[in-house]
Amino acid sequence: MAAAQGPRRRFKASHENIVIAITVILFVGFSLFLNGFLTTGNLLTLLRSVSVLGILGVGMAVVVISRGIDLSLIATLAVGAGVAIVLSRPDGPLPGGLPFWQGALLGLVFVVIVTALTGAIIAYADLPAVFTTLAMGSVIYGVGRVLFLPAEANYLPESATWVFALGRGQLFGIPISIICFLVVLVLVHIVLRKTALGLFIYAMGDNPVAARSAGIPARPATVVIYVFAGLVAYFAGLLTAGAVNNINTRMFNSTLIYDVLLVVVVGGIGLSGGRGGMKNVLIGTLLIGTLLNGMIILNISYNEQSLIKGLILLLAILVDTILNPRDEQTSQQGDI
Amino acid sequence: MSETPIIEIRDGRKEFHGAVANEDINFRLMPAEVHSLLGENGAGKSTMTKIMAGVHQLTAGKLLLDGEEIAFRSPADALSKGIAMVYQENSLVPTMSVAQNIYLGDEKLFNGLRKLNIAAQQFLQSLNFHVNPTLYVSELGAAQRQMVEIARAVHHKARVIIFDEPTATLTPEEKHHFFSLVRRLKKSGVAIIFISHALEEALSISDSITVLRDGRIVDSGPCAEFDRGRIVKAMIGRDLSDSAYADLASREIKQRPPGDRTLSVENISMGVAVRNASFSVFSGQVTGVFGLIGSGRTEMMKVVAGIYKRDLFHGGNVMLEGRPIRYRVPGPAVEDGIVYVTEDRKSEGFFDTMTIGQNIQVGDTVANRSMWNVIDYRSARDLADHWIKRLNIRAISSDAKVIELSGGNQQKVVIAKALTKTPKLVIFDEPTRGVDVGAIREIHEFIQQLADEGIAVVVVSSYLPEILTLSDRILVARQGQIVEEFEARDASEEKIIFAAVH
Repeated sequence: MAAAQGPRRRFKASHENIVIAITVILFVGFSLFLNGFLTTGNLLTLLRSVSVLGILGVGMAVVVISRGIDLSLIATLAVGAGVAIVLSRPDGPLPGGLPFWQGALLGLVFVVIVTALTGAIIAYADLPAVFTTLAMGSVIYGVGRVLFLPAEANYLPESATWVFALGRGQLFGIPISIICFLVVLVLVHIVLRKTALGLFIYAMGDNPVAARSAGIPARPATVVIYVFAGLVAYFAGLLTAGAVNNINTRMFNSTLIYDVLLVVVVGGIGLSGGRGGMKNVLIGTLLIGTLLNGMIILNISYNEQSLIKGLILLLAILVDTILNPRDEQTSQQGDI
Repeated sequence: MSETPIIEIRDGRKEFHGAVANEDINFRLMPAEVHSLLGENGAGKSTMTKIMAGVHQLTAGKLLLDGEEIAFRSPADALSKGIAMVYQENSLVPTMSVAQNIYLGDEKLFNGLRKLNIAAQQFLQSLNFHVNPTLYVSELGAAQRQMVEIARAVHHKARVIIFDEPTATLTPEEKHHFFSLVRRLKKSGVAIIFISHALEEALSISDSITVLRDGRIVDSGPCAEFDRGRIVKAMIGRDLSDSAYADLASREIKQRPPGDRTLSVENISMGVAVRNASFSVFSGQVTGVFGLIGSGRTEMMKVVAGIYKRDLFHGGNVMLEGRPIRYRVPGPAVEDGIVYVTEDRKSEGFFDTMTIGQNIQVGDTVANRSMWNVIDYRSARDLADHWIKRLNIRAISSDAKVIELSGGNQQKVVIAKALTKTPKLVIFDEPTRGVDVGAIREIHEFIQQLADEGIAVVVVSSYLPEILTLSDRILVARQGQIVEEFEARDASEEKIIFAAVH
């Protein structure tokens, strides 16, 4: 029996190794053949863009491991950060504007409320996560635009110094945003591996029915998972605002959510749940970040980029299904 | 015997993930022959017949149809070649009518319902089946469903019909009908494979008998050469201690007296599956619950364990140690000390990407009822090692994945996961389904130990010897109710079956 498992284990290890190898090949290839790729300026850009993608990937990964999916992440990112900015701007709806930390706190409250609602609908009304988060994404965006954000672009107020620092600052020459990404990665890794919640997340993703019968508080845990993903997206939103000076609600209509899915699936976190961890987010982020950056330098048009990313996503899901099958023979039972 | 067999397996071997289900199978089925397959649960009868019906493919060896080698791709493929299987759990579409089910896959382009019903009516009458063709299958009882399945097989001009325990759910009268049908089918040249646990039935109807044990054919020959003794000897094997139920006939009944009333269920109802079921379970005793498929035995227990919710109105009462309980989810039930060990461990029991240790850890962590606890991995490992030793789980280490284990060891992991915190009430649903003989013994011993420790134990099983071996008290479920109760010393297979059939 151990022998039967042996090759699969080796192959699984190699799945991760393949992704790492592709990343290295891409990186070396771009460095050699692309002018302007291997420059300090570009690498800093790469790392910065990668950090937002990676942080979103962490949020998505936790949801996917629990056998869910959160397509409302970008709406949460844009609207959450937008609310924080608008409430603290002097020309915003509140006369004079709040101090930025208060605005940020209110943004946080907004995010917790809407994501808890999303989680509660999925957990208690038992709706499929795909459709619930798809719809909730629009709801969050709509609520945000109608109530708080009449303008598309929302510029950070001068008072938000720490957000600028997060987005643009450097510590010992390393962008703070990349440090943030690594800190989030490590924290979530610890939660997943060392706490009861982490164990429950894997159990729920592996076998929801068994998790429920075992007595796991699956519904409260689901709410916690979606709130967590929302908070991560909110944090990514503040980082983005700090880096580019504003948050543009048009992000909601971008293909960013597919990039996040790409990171998760290419990294090797199966959409069937229960598999993978933060290591996979890291390697997925590096590969997709390098790829996106290279395509931008190559001046590949936006539409062609979409096509390439779409194909890679399709391929990654296909490979995932082949590697982690829910096969019929193992689920067959009884009189053998 | 120069005739070619209609279907034949030569040196057949079938493995599931390295676990051998069948080996050295040499089986011949002659035209117009009734051939009984006998053997214990897990002897490999179903797998062997499913190979012939195209459900499974042989790992090694040959399958021959009319003397020519053949490989069925699917059950539909086998059916088109005239081999039909009537399953224990039937394969009808419940939301379609009887007539639609009979002609399923054989519809004409213009499929008039009226014509279909008339044709079905005539067809059913020709088989002497009293089933209304316009009824939906979901409205039928077990026996009638089986008739529809048989009718479907006959309609598809099956030359071979495989019956997997057809008589288990039938009343004596229906059985009589069934056997006369089998004789008629035989007369018209159909070959029949008959899987059964009932030896007398097999002896009375068969032309040939084949006995399987541990995936191998151990005895085979014309029916006339067999008697009950020879079959039992072949089923159990040379060494009597091979079988978990070997000492059943000569067992000494040491019946435990009932302790406190741990669980008392009054008139619970849940949809159509459970209707006014009432029963009690006492501590320090094993309460066996026997019921046929569709009797609501599993559903009753799942209501008690909080996996299903009983009806909101007229749903009845459940009392745990005199305290009324109602659960929306299983979590609080686990907290109150009610655990349910599922009959379907693959889809509701264990976590297949996790190791043995992690599976057991889930049970232990749940008992603490907090998401925010930090897991102490050293004590987790000790816990896993403790259970591996206590239940004799055979694995390299607690880091082995559960999916790599044999059925018996998987079952032990599921049991360990449920019992990390000593419960008040344990419900085992089919605790030894798909489990090898050695593990059956160990699991039975463990169940007895739990009762000796004063825990209230419920064992649900559809296998009578298991109920008789384990129980101090026996309840019989039928049509969503508990209809009969026996003391272990008064119970017999006949009495229980008599109470359980419709």
